[in-house]
Amino acid sequence: MRLSRRNLFKLGAAAGTALSFPSIVRAQTAPTDVRTVRLTMADLTVFDPIFTTTDPTQTHGLNIYDTLFALDSELKPQPQMVGNWGVSDDKKTYTFELRDGLGWHDGTPVTAADCVASIRRWGQAGGQLLMERAKDISKKDDKTFTIVLKEPLGVLIDMLGRIPAPCPFIMREKDAERPFAEQVTTNIGSGPFKFNESLLKPGSSYTYDRNEKYVPRSEPSNGLAGGKVVKVDRVIWQNIADQQTSLAALQAAEVDFVELPPADLYSMIESDPSLELQVLNKSGTDMCLRMNCLHKPFDNVNARQAILHLIDQEAFLRVTAPDPRFGRPVTSIFGNSTPYSNDENTGWFKKGGDPEKAKQLLKESGYTGEKVVILDPTDWAEAHAACQLLADTLRKIDINVELASSDWGGLVARRGNMGSVENGGWSIFITNDPDYVQGEPPSAVFLNASGDKAWFGWPKNDEYEALRGKWADVGTLDERKTLARKMQRVWWDFVGDVRLGQIVTPVARRKTLTGLIEVPATLIPFWNLQKGSV
Amino acid sequence: MAAYILRRTVSTVAVMVMVGMFVFLLLRMAPGDPAAIIAGRSATEEMIAGIREQLGLNDPMLLQFIHWVRDMLGGDFGNSIFAARPVLELISQRLEPTLSLSILTMILSVTAGVSFGVLAAWRTGGLVDRLLTAFSALGYSVPVFVIGYFLIYFFAIRTHWLPVQGYKPIEGGLGPWFTHLILPTLALGLGFIAFIARVTRASMLEVLSEDYMRTAAAKGAPSYAMLVHHALKNAGVPILTVIGISFAYMIGGVVLTETVFNIPGIGRLVVDAINNRDYPIIQSVLILTSGLYVLINLTVDLAYTLIDPRIRY
Repeated sequence: MRLSRRNLFKLGAAAGTALSFPSIVRAQTAPTDVRTVRLTMADLTVFDPIFTTTDPTQTHGLNIYDTLFALDSELKPQPQMVGNWGVSDDKKTYTFELRDGLGWHDGTPVTAADCVASIRRWGQAGGQLLMERAKDISKKDDKTFTIVLKEPLGVLIDMLGRIPAPCPFIMREKDAERPFAEQVTTNIGSGPFKFNESLLKPGSSYTYDRNEKYVPRSEPSNGLAGGKVVKVDRVIWQNIADQQTSLAALQAAEVDFVELPPADLYSMIESDPSLELQVLNKSGTDMCLRMNCLHKPFDNVNARQAILHLIDQEAFLRVTAPDPRFGRPVTSIFGNSTPYSNDENTGWFKKGGDPEKAKQLLKESGYTGEKVVILDPTDWAEAHAACQLLADTLRKIDINVELASSDWGGLVARRGNMGSVENGGWSIFITNDPDYVQGEPPSAVFLNASGDKAWFGWPKNDEYEALRGKWADVGTLDERKTLARKMQRVWWDFVGDVRLGQIVTPVARRKTLTGLIEVPATLIPFWNLQKGSV
Repeated sequence: MAAYILRRTVSTVAVMVMVGMFVFLLLRMAPGDPAAIIAGRSATEEMIAGIREQLGLNDPMLLQFIHWVRDMLGGDFGNSIFAARPVLELISQRLEPTLSLSILTMILSVTAGVSFGVLAAWRTGGLVDRLLTAFSALGYSVPVFVIGYFLIYFFAIRTHWLPVQGYKPIEGGLGPWFTHLILPTLALGLGFIAFIARVTRASMLEVLSEDYMRTAAAKGAPSYAMLVHHALKNAGVPILTVIGISFAYMIGGVVLTETVFNIPGIGRLVVDAINNRDYPIIQSVLILTSGLYVLINLTVDLAYTLIDPRIRY
């Protein structure tokens, strides 16, 4: 039969109609399998949780690696990989024995040598205090190792169970022997999930399979402590760059969970009967204004105090956390959620701020119109909005403000410049840090006031530093609380930084996904997750 | 012809080398520190310094450039700073989604755009022509992401006919592959359909007013033969030119479309790399893209000879 042009056209039209007929493609959007959970979270760009402090990498580490100790829901460290442990009478020798049943994903058993190498590597990145105090860290036998200290370290167990990044995850000895600045990419841990390399799509999706050989502790799940019982076969971590699309995928049941739903769509989520907002990290983050204490005008304490009195935290919260349920002022340098949060020397806090007092302090500082450069990260919505408001607020007391806009990458390059603004330096930048981290003064970057060894902004106060130096040696909670009040009194006098409020961010989930563990950090444990039929 | 192709191929290499040098210098001069981004927001200066040293970012720029050129000449495009994997491996993983989207979009744009353009020119001033004018205005003025969100809302959320996002490799079956590309192709293609249709219409109108078209009509040539054999072929050179330009412009549109529809393609790769200052990825993608641009132009130039025998190189 000869195929005429007319018949060819008819054939093409029929094929096109058939392909585009909606009913045949409906199956493509069928609900996901109940044993597979799909989570939409920020991209996992780096796999080694000691190499970086970023939250996605810590979540990755949390699920494939294990820790010696883990924090329970009351932030108390509980043994996790450790079975028995003890400390000598002089509190200088700690002995740890691993519990039974621990094994790497490659089938080999976890040994004390792995723990020793891991602690040493972590010690270079996040456990410097331990390494400074340690005289010896060595294995005794395959399941036992000791940490011998030069002098007692009251916070040692807290440090081994800490969740501020980098967390002390235990890796295989051959991985942990690398320098901390050399990335480990093998992804072989001993945790409840195995990383599926064959399904890895960098920048797009990451697949975690249940570790069927994992032996959970017998205690019930409690925070990050207790038994890590896995109730699904697979967790797929998807990176959907566009927030609107990720929410659409959630509505269409293509994913079960969105870590960062857009704040302007909270009401829409709450109006959908199949979706729910849930705050997993109740401590959230503290927004913070860092001033460059090395150069004018903020090398003068009166100028820093002027900013402290000027800031109206509620106004900043309106732009950084527009829904009042998810933001509140923070006046303690120890955050709102830590046991050390207190109200010492917080008389500066006034509703609406105190512009008159700020003007007076600025005048006393001898400010003569020097340019104040604010580093404005345009690709971080909350910080960008806060910078715009800050510029406007500073201009109201006649500060000569210049916004230096760039992306976050540009900001981090410039913030390391210790020179004056004329030499490419800066005056102010806005950032954040988890609220719970403020309960660890030895490692919390905001709480360091050691001058050029401090974090960006380089505040310096010897009296405060002497108090901070005592933290590691204080044995009881009550003693630490007393010390915290003393530290805070000094801090708000010399004004090491200024806080702009505490923000918590809810996740959005389909109601069929349950068992999400509340953690005071931006970490998402995959164990305990459960998915009902839809 | 062979000499011409050889000359253009050599010039392609020269363009790629120049783009490579330019991109290398531009990236190093632009603010941003990959080590600081890798280390994370709360990293200490010591952590950042350690990573910077490990990545060789403290080496003099000239030394970095020499190492890079040496490795490139050996076919080694380097490793991603973040993913710690070969750049070519990452690019090859992203190639299929981008090619699939681009090719489907071009097929849709050319077939629909040329057809609409011819129809509008044939019935100039009529309903089809006026509808095309309105459609063109819409196609030009509405951004890809707005079209994308509308399509997602109606065809994925409201009706559940098509998936919201994602990409299924072709090896997993033509059905899933195609259904995941319908909405992105429509979103990306509408602007190009409008563009090609407008140019086709204008070019056809010019040809239709020629004397030889009147002669063909007087001799009783059927409308189809007049439009396709006589008019469209003679109007083909400017149409082919805009198709080539459209392909080149599409690279920009692909970035947005891949973001809106969560397609893990080259566009997403390079945007993420720029945000992270992942130099080896940015450099490699831009060099390969510049090569692709030149090759598209070369292909278009050669295609002219097929539709216009007077053109010779």
